[in-house]
This record gives sequence, C-alpha cells and structure tokens, in this order.
Amino acid sequence: MKASPLLGPWLLFPVAVLIVAGFLAPTFLMGVLSLRSYSATQGLGDGWSLLNYIRVLGDSFYLEIIARTLALGALVTLICLLLGFPLALFILRSGPRVQTLCILLVIFPLLCNIVVRSFGWMVLLSPNGLVNEALMAIGLTARPVALMYNLTGVVIGLVQIYLPFMVLLLVPALQNIPADVEAAAQVLRASRLRTFFSITVPLATPGMITGSILVFVLSISALVTPRMLGGPTYKVMATQIYDEFMVNLNWPSGAALAFTLTFIALVLIWGANRIAAHVTRGITGGPGQ
Amino acid sequence: MMARKPGVLLTLIAALILLFMNGPTLVVVLASFSDTSYLTVPPQGWTLRWFTEVLNDTRYMRAISTSLWLAAGSTAISLLLGTAASYAIHHRLVPYRDAILSAIMAPLVFPAVVIGVALLQYVSLMGLRGQPWVLMAAHVLITLPYVVRSALSSLHGQNPQLEEAATVLGAGRFTAFRLVTLPLLRPGLIAGGIFSFVTSLDNVPVTIFLLTPRQSTLPVKIFAAVEHGVDPSIAAASTMLIAGTAVALILAQRRVSFTRLF
Repeated sequence: MKASPLLGPWLLFPVAVLIVAGFLAPTFLMGVLSLRSYSATQGLGDGWSLLNYIRVLGDSFYLEIIARTLALGALVTLICLLLGFPLALFILRSGPRVQTLCILLVIFPLLCNIVVRSFGWMVLLSPNGLVNEALMAIGLTARPVALMYNLTGVVIGLVQIYLPFMVLLLVPALQNIPADVEAAAQVLRASRLRTFFSITVPLATPGMITGSILVFVLSISALVTPRMLGGPTYKVMATQIYDEFMVNLNWPSGAALAFTLTFIALVLIWGANRIAAHVTRGITGGPGQ
Repeated sequence: MMARKPGVLLTLIAALILLFMNGPTLVVVLASFSDTSYLTVPPQGWTLRWFTEVLNDTRYMRAISTSLWLAAGSTAISLLLGTAASYAIHHRLVPYRDAILSAIMAPLVFPAVVIGVALLQYVSLMGLRGQPWVLMAAHVLITLPYVVRSALSSLHGQNPQLEEAATVLGAGRFTAFRLVTLPLLRPGLIAGGIFSFVTSLDNVPVTIFLLTPRQSTLPVKIFAAVEHGVDPSIAAASTMLIAGTAVALILAQRRVSFTRLF
C-alpha cells in the first residue's frame, strides 16, 4: 500500500500539538521557574540559582516531608504485597465463576472515585465511626482510637486504593509459572511451604517488582487520600506541592519540590525496568543457556 | 499454575481482603440512605432525602454536568486523535516512533500533581486561566495514553493482510480503514474509551489546579465539601458517582474481557 508521505504527519499533528503545548512546554517552563529566585516580599527575582533545590533538600522541614513520603510509600507497597499475594493465589486456584466475581470485586474499587473511597474511609475511621464502635463493643479499647489524620489512616486509605493494581499484576505473574515446576518440587518431597518460598515466590519476582514500583510511585504521588485522611497537618510531598502553589503562593519552591518528586518517580521506574529485565533473564536462564 | 483448590484458610483471607477493598464503597452507599442528619452505618431508617437535596442543589448539579461534559468530550477527542496517532505509529508513517510514543505515554508516568501544577503555571503565565477548553485539553492529555495503548495493542493483533486485501479489491486507504480496520478495532477502542471516561470523571489532582473559583467537577466538589465537615448529602453525591461507575463496569463487562484493560 502506498501512502502519501504527508499522511502520517497529518494524522499525528493534533496529538503532537497537544503534547508539545500541553505537556512538554509546561514542564520546561516549570523547570525554568524552579531555577528562579523568589522572595515573599518582591515575588519572582531576576537571577538564576539552585537556591530552591538547596532549600528543599537542605531544610529539615522539607526533608522530613520527603522522608515521610518515601517511608509511607514503602509501607503501603509492603502491605499491598502481603495482601495481594494471597488474593492473587486464591483467584488463580478458584473455578471460573468465582474467578470472574473476584476480578469484578477487584476492578470495581479500582474504577470507583478516589475521593469517594477516601470519604468512605473517613466515615469508617472517624472517632465515632464503625471501626471505633466495633473496637469499643468488643472491649479492645475504652475510648476511640485516632485512626485518621495520622499515618494509620493514610496507609489504610492508600493500601485500599492501590491494592487492585498489585493484584492485577500478580495474577498474570503467578499464572505464568509452569505447573510442572511446582509439581516437580513436590515430587522431590519439598513441603508445601518450601515449594511456595523456593519456587513460587522467586518465579513471581518480576511481577512483584513491577507491582511494587507501580504502587510505590502512585503512593508517593498521591494527593487526594493524604489530604482527606491525613488532614491539613499530616503533610506529604504532593500535599506540600499543593500548599506551595495554592496557599503559600511560592511557585519556585513548589516547582523545585515537584521536580524532586518527578525525579524520584522516574528514577525508580527506570531502575525497576532494568532490575525486572535482569531478573527475568536470570529466571529464564538467559540467552547463553 | 497449580491445579490445587483453594483451602479454607486461603478462602477466608481472600474474602476478608475483598471486603476490605469494597468496604468503603459499601459504607458510602449505605450511609447515603440513612434517615439521620449525621453519617451513620448501618443506616437508621431509610430515606431518599439526601438525593433530592443534591439534585436540588444547583452547585452540585452544575458540577455533575461539568464532570459529564468533560468526561464525554475528552473521551471523544481522545478516541479521535488517539486512533489517528496510533494508526500513523503502527503503520510506520512517521519517524521517531519510539520517542513519539514515549511522549504520549509520559503523562501516565509523571505524578499527576506535577502535571497539574505545571499546567497551572503555564496557563497563568500565558493568560489562559479559566478558558473552558484548557480543562478539556488537560483531560485529553491524561486520557490519551489509555486510548493509544488499547488502539495500538488492537492494531498489533490484527492481520495486516485484511487491510491489504481491501486495497487490492480497489478500496482507498480511508475506505479500507473504515470498512476493515475500524470494525476490528472496536473492542479495543471501547475498552480504551471506558477507561478514558472513568479516568476523566475521577480526576482531581490535575483538575483542581485548573478550575476557576466558580467552576467545579463532582469529585472536586466532594473533595472541597469534606473539608467543611462530612454530611449525608456528600454520601448521596458519592453514591451517584458509584452508581455511574457500576453501570459503566456492567456495560463494559458485556462487551470486552477485562484483561484488555490492563
């Protein structure tokens, strides 16, 4: 089939305009702005400097927010792995009807609005919410426990929001493990537990890495859930970026913080892709064998 | 993998996890029917009062209609532009395909809040703040990757000889596309379109930076309302959003297998 040489460019033109004007240019502009000086009294200055980055990476206030964000991401990722694994196993071992039902129950919360789900957690976790009432009814606590506006609430909310991604990535990862390998381990008298830890888990590693990175990156970038369940005082990077732009009106600082977040996310994704490729090669034996 | 049936313990654990995943939605739906002026679960007495309250509140209604227009509009534009771009990329009609594809997918990798503030800055400095099409363009930007991903994977799965056969039989390139390729692309485009619609409908971290004080979308409205305290009309508005999602999910399930979405 011969095509006019202009067909391709014409087909791509609208998308190219959108990406250049709506994504590349704004990102570039923010990069420029993050290198400008700023003072509360005079606004944007003329000079170029790394001051915004030095302030973000040298100030204990910002460093604490960055450290808290990363720790939060790690905790959420770990819990998602611990909960995602058994659920993915269950889905794979069930019959087709239960399987479809489970997949629907995993996808439904994924498609439900994040604001709505966080709001649901606010209803559940508030001092006079269902969880606290249940805890008091069974006598575990005499007074309501603080379950939100702190780490606990944000972790619960984020785990629930990003768990579907983990499950949906673990299911195909586990599915790809050949049944023979596990059968072989059992023939060789490996216990179920041993088969699980020395066969199933290592073979599922690439899927676990992909899922973990996705959940980690989404968790450290989350704005809505930390805001709703963490309240105005429990700050993470995304909520601080929001505050710098909308409340403090210190755009250069916000831009520097935004770039720091983007840098962390992109480096992680890039690194994870390399590790996943490496691990996959190791499992499949690599080209030389 | 294993042909083993799930054990009792595993079944119990899985049931608890599924309950954990769907609990908050369930609670919101139940709370929206409760006949009390504060939020409570299980509901004490049933009422539709909170729904009528939301439906009679012009601010909520404006937010709902903004949300729907934005989601429908951006999905339609994304489908049109995304299919055209995918076609050009798939048939190698443009150079630097990998770089172009990475640029289209980039908004998926970048933290949404960063895209939001970058656009806020850009739009303010260009003096475009508050233009209605700015929000639409931003939503096309964030929904486009889903459409392009589905369209490309459908195109890869197609037999290229079908389109060639059509041209041999005298169809022009466009006719061949319309009569052969497009019908085969349909399931992929429907899946991409549904995902794009839901993504647009849900978005807060980009939208919130681009709204003028008088504009709102439903999720942003709920997000803002929560800061002033929780009440049952928020639950009712949320339930409407949940119902919309459920309908989309049921429609989607009839037409496409879910493995295509991811």
